[in-house]
Amino acid sequence: MTSTRRRLLAGAAGLCAAAALRPARAQPGLFGPFGDDEFREPTAVLTVDLPQLQYAGKWNPRPGAMRELAVELRLRTRLEPVREPSVVTGESPALFGTPFLYVAGEGGLPPLGAKAEAALGRFLDLGGMIVFDAADGGADLGFERDVAALLGRILPGAALTRVAADHVLYRSFYLVETPFGRTAAHDHVLGVQEEGRLKALLVRNDLGGALARDEGGLFTHPCTPGGATQREWAFRFAVNILLYATCTDYKADRAHVETLLRHRRWR
Amino acid sequence: MERWRLIAGHVPGPVGLVLVLAAAALAIAEAARAYRRPVPGVSRATRAGLFALRCVGALALLAVAFELSLAFETTSKAGPRLVVLADDSASMAIADAAAPGQKAIPRVDRIRALWRRSEGARAAWREQGLAVQVRRFGERSEALSGPAEDALSLDARAGASDLQRALAELAADDPSADPRPLAGVIVLSDGLFDRTDRGASDPLLVAARDLGVPITTVAAGAPHLVDLALTDLRAGEFAFVENVAEFAADIEAHGLPGARTEVVLRRDGQVVATEPFTAPVSGHATVRFEVAPDRIGQFVYEIEVRPVDGEATTANNRRAFVVKVLRDKVRALHVAGRPDWDVRALRTLLGRDPNVELLSYYILRGADDADREDPSAPLSLIAFPTDELFKEQLGSFDLVILHNFDALNHQVGRYLADIGQYVQDGGALVVIGGDMGLATGDYPAPPLAAVVPVDIRAPTGLETDPFRPALTDAGRRHPITAWIDSSGLSDWSALPQLDSYNPVKLARHEAAIGSAVLLKHPKGGPLLAIAEPGRGRVLVLATGATWRLGFSADLPIVDGARPYDLLWLGAIRWLLRDAAADRLTLETDKPTYLLGAPITLRATALSPSYAPEADVAIDWRVQPLGAAPEGSGGPVTLLSQGTWSTDALGRASEVLRGGLSVGAYEAVAQRVAGADQPAAAQQARRVFLVQEAGRELGRIAAGPGDERLKRLAEATGGRSLRAEADDLPADPPLKPGHGPGERVDSRRDVPVWSGGLAMLLLVLSLGGEALLRRRVGLP
Repeated sequence: MTSTRRRLLAGAAGLCAAAALRPARAQPGLFGPFGDDEFREPTAVLTVDLPQLQYAGKWNPRPGAMRELAVELRLRTRLEPVREPSVVTGESPALFGTPFLYVAGEGGLPPLGAKAEAALGRFLDLGGMIVFDAADGGADLGFERDVAALLGRILPGAALTRVAADHVLYRSFYLVETPFGRTAAHDHVLGVQEEGRLKALLVRNDLGGALARDEGGLFTHPCTPGGATQREWAFRFAVNILLYATCTDYKADRAHVETLLRHRRWR
Repeated sequence: MERWRLIAGHVPGPVGLVLVLAAAALAIAEAARAYRRPVPGVSRATRAGLFALRCVGALALLAVAFELSLAFETTSKAGPRLVVLADDSASMAIADAAAPGQKAIPRVDRIRALWRRSEGARAAWREQGLAVQVRRFGERSEALSGPAEDALSLDARAGASDLQRALAELAADDPSADPRPLAGVIVLSDGLFDRTDRGASDPLLVAARDLGVPITTVAAGAPHLVDLALTDLRAGEFAFVENVAEFAADIEAHGLPGARTEVVLRRDGQVVATEPFTAPVSGHATVRFEVAPDRIGQFVYEIEVRPVDGEATTANNRRAFVVKVLRDKVRALHVAGRPDWDVRALRTLLGRDPNVELLSYYILRGADDADREDPSAPLSLIAFPTDELFKEQLGSFDLVILHNFDALNHQVGRYLADIGQYVQDGGALVVIGGDMGLATGDYPAPPLAAVVPVDIRAPTGLETDPFRPALTDAGRRHPITAWIDSSGLSDWSALPQLDSYNPVKLARHEAAIGSAVLLKHPKGGPLLAIAEPGRGRVLVLATGATWRLGFSADLPIVDGARPYDLLWLGAIRWLLRDAAADRLTLETDKPTYLLGAPITLRATALSPSYAPEADVAIDWRVQPLGAAPEGSGGPVTLLSQGTWSTDALGRASEVLRGGLSVGAYEAVAQRVAGADQPAAAQQARRVFLVQEAGRELGRIAAGPGDERLKRLAEATGGRSLRAEADDLPADPPLKPGHGPGERVDSRRDVPVWSGGLAMLLLVLSLGGEALLRRRVGLP
C-alpha cells in the first residue's frame, strides 16, 4: 500500500513537473485553433541607432541627449533604439550604419573637411536624414549660419526653408503645435525638403538641452519659459522627429487624415 | 470617211505670231505691188514669176516657222454613251423574298433575270445609236465586254460597293481615249453602298449631280429577309484587370420575331459568357456583357449571335475586337509591427511609384507603451482597423505585405486563414522577417502556412550576426535576383552585409506549391523564397535588413539603380505578374488592320537588370489565333516567321506587307536560348485582327438601300425601278442635246516643214527670186 501510494505521488509529481516545463507560449491547437491572440515577446529585438556626429569643435554641447531620447522612445513607442547611441565621424564607414544622424553644435559649425562633406552629401542622397540642433537656443546665429553653408555645399541648390505648420512632422506621433526645446525662441523649424521628404532639419530651440540629464539623473538645463510642461513638449517633438525619420509621411496617408479629421483630433 | 487637215506643230506666242504673219504679208504685198507696177525692160511674165517666187518663199518660210504637217484621218460617226453599273458586292448574294412564305432569291439572280428579260431594250439602245458600256463595281469598277457583258457576269463577292468611286471613275474617263459623250447611267444594285447615307447632303448624291447625267436606278432587293446581324459593337480599347468592363452589341433581326438563340462572348476563342437572346419584333436589340478580366494582357474578344435556321447569311453574326487589359493602380497593403529602417525603405520605394496606391498601417505603440502614456497627450494614433483590412477589404488588395508583424498581438490571428485563402484566390503576399512575425511564430494558421514555402508556424528567433547571402542556381535565373549574377555581384563581396536573419526551414509542402529558394544564408537556410500556390504568389524574406542594400558607403549602382531598388522592384513585378517584368516584349503598331495594310512587329529585349540588350537572337512567327501550341503535335499554320537580332537599343522589328486574310492572328516572339544561358522561357505574344475596310454585310436589309436608290434617281433626273417588277427601259433618261459625235478611227501625219522639200522650196524660191531680179536689173 505504501509503495503504491508513493508511486502515485511520484507519478503526480512527474505530471506536475511536466506541466511546469511546458513552454510559456501557447502551441497551435492546444489553446484554441490558432493559439488565440496571445501576447508574444521577441527574444531578440531589431534596434535602431541614433548616431551623433563627432567633429573638431563643440560637437557635444548636450551630453546624453540622444541616450535620453532613446529611453523615451522605448517607453513611449514601439521603436527600439539602442541603449547607448553611437558616435560617428564624417569620414568613418559607420556613418552609413544608420540613415539618421544627429548633429549638435553651439556658436558655430566648423568645416568638416572635403571627404566628410562628400560623405554627408552621399548620406543624404541615399536617403539619410540629418537633424541639426543649435544649442544656442536662439541666442546666437553662428551655428545656423554654418549649417546653412554646409547644406549649400553638400546639397547644391537646396535651401533651408520654414517647415510648414501642417507638415506631417508635427503629427507623426504626437499632435505638436510648437517645436519646443530648452527655449521657445522660434515657433518653427527649418528644413531642406527634396524628393518628397525632409532631408535635413534645423532645430533652433536647443532640443538636446531639454532632453539631457546629468549623471545624477536630473535634467541638466531648465526649460524656459514653460518649465516641465515645455520639456514634455520638447520630448514629444523629439519623438515625432524619430517617428518621421522611420515612417516618413505615413501619417499624411489619406486614411489617417480622414480618420483624424473624423475624430476631430487634428485641426 | 477620209479627210485631211493642216496641223501646226508649233505656234509662237502672240507677238511672234504677229511678227511672222506680218512679215509674210508684207513680203507678199510688196511682191504684189511690184507685179502691178510696170517696169521698163521687165516683161509681165517676169514680174509674175517674181511674184510667184516671193509667194512660194513666204509660204515655205511659214511652213518651217509653224512646223506644218498634213494629217490624213479616217473618221466614223459615234453616238453618246450609256453606262450600266452593276453592283458586284457580297450583299448582292443575299437572298430575300417579296413576302413571307415566298422563295428567297439572291439579289444578283434577280438582276441577271432582269438583264435577260431586257434584251429587247438593250437592242433598242443600239438602234438609237447609243454606245452601251457595262461595268461591274465593288471596291472599284471594271468594264465587262463580250460574253461577260452579254451574260452580265457578276460574282457578288466584293468586300465593298463603292458607287461613289465608280461614278468618279466615270467622270475621270479620258475624252481623247473615248470621245463618246456620257449621256446616262443605269445602276443595278441593292443600294447598300459603302459610305454612310447622309440624306440630302449625301456625298454620293453630290458626286452623282456633278456627273451631270440622269442616273436610273434598279433596286435589286426585296422586302422580306430572314437574318440576325450584329450591326454595332461598343467596346473600349482598354480595360483594367479586376475592373468591370462593358461590351455591348447591337443586333438587328429580320423575319424572326420571337426566335430564340444566344449571344456568346469569347476571349481568344474561349467562351467567357453567354446571354440568351430572343429576336425582338421591332428588329433591334442590344446585348451587354459585363466582364472583369482576371489577368493583364492583350486579348481578342468576339461577340457572336448563334445562327438561327434559315438566315440569309451568317457572315454578319460575329465581330471581333482587341482589348488590352492593363493593371489599374496597384493597391498594396503594408502592415508593419514596428517602425524601423527596413519599413522606411520599403515605404519610400512603394510611395515613389505613382502607380501604387499604398495603404499602410504601422504599429507605433504597444500596449505597455500606452499604459505609460499621459492620457491627456494628444496623439495622432488611430485604431488598427483589422476587420476592415482583413475581412472587408482584403480582396481589394493586389499585394499584402506583412512586415515584421506580430499578428497575434494585434487580433489579426483570426484573419490569417483569410489571408491564406486570399493568396489561393490570386492575391500576392510578402512576409518579411525581423524580431517579430517569423521570429515569434506569429503566423500559426494552417491555411496561411499551407501557401508559404517556409515553415512560418514555428518561431525562429532572430540572429544579428552580419552575413553575406548566397545566390542559388534558381536565383541566377529568376527575374527577381538574376541581375545579381549578371552584374557580377553574386559573391556579395561588393554588396553590404545583412545583419538580421530568421533561420526558417523549408516547409514540407514547398515542392507542391512550386517554390524556389533564390537567396540562402551561408549556413544553408532559405533567405529569400518564393512560391506560386493556387492562383497567387508568395515571397518570404527571412531578414529585416534588406534596407542596407540601398544605404551603404560604397554601394554599387547597377544600370543606374540601387541594389535595393532592383531587388524590390523585381519582386513586386513578379508578384503582380507585371508585363514589365518580362525581359522580352512584343508590340504591333495597331491592334486592328485593314485588309492589305502593312503590319509592323516590334520587339525589345532587356537584360536581367532590365537594361536594353543588344545582339539577342529572337525567333518570331505569325499564326492564326487559336493555332495548336508549338510542340503539341497539332498542325500549325505559320504565315510568316524569321529570326531577329536586336540592335544597340535592344530593339528589332519587321513589317509584314499584307498577305493576311480577314481574321484574328497572334504574333509570337521567343528569345533563343544560348549555350551560356539556361533555357528560361522568355516569350512574348501579341494578338491582332485583320478586317475588311467596310461592313459590307453589317446591315443587309433592302429597305434603306431602296430609299437611297430612289433619292439618287430623283436627284439626277433618272427613273427609279425595281428588278422584280420592272424591265430596263427602252428609252432611258439621257442628257438632252447630245447628238451623234465623231470618232477618229485612224490618222496619218505627214510633216511638211521638216522634209527636204520645204527647204528646197525655200532655197529655190528665195534664191530664184534674187537671181531673176539681178538678171533683169531689179534691185
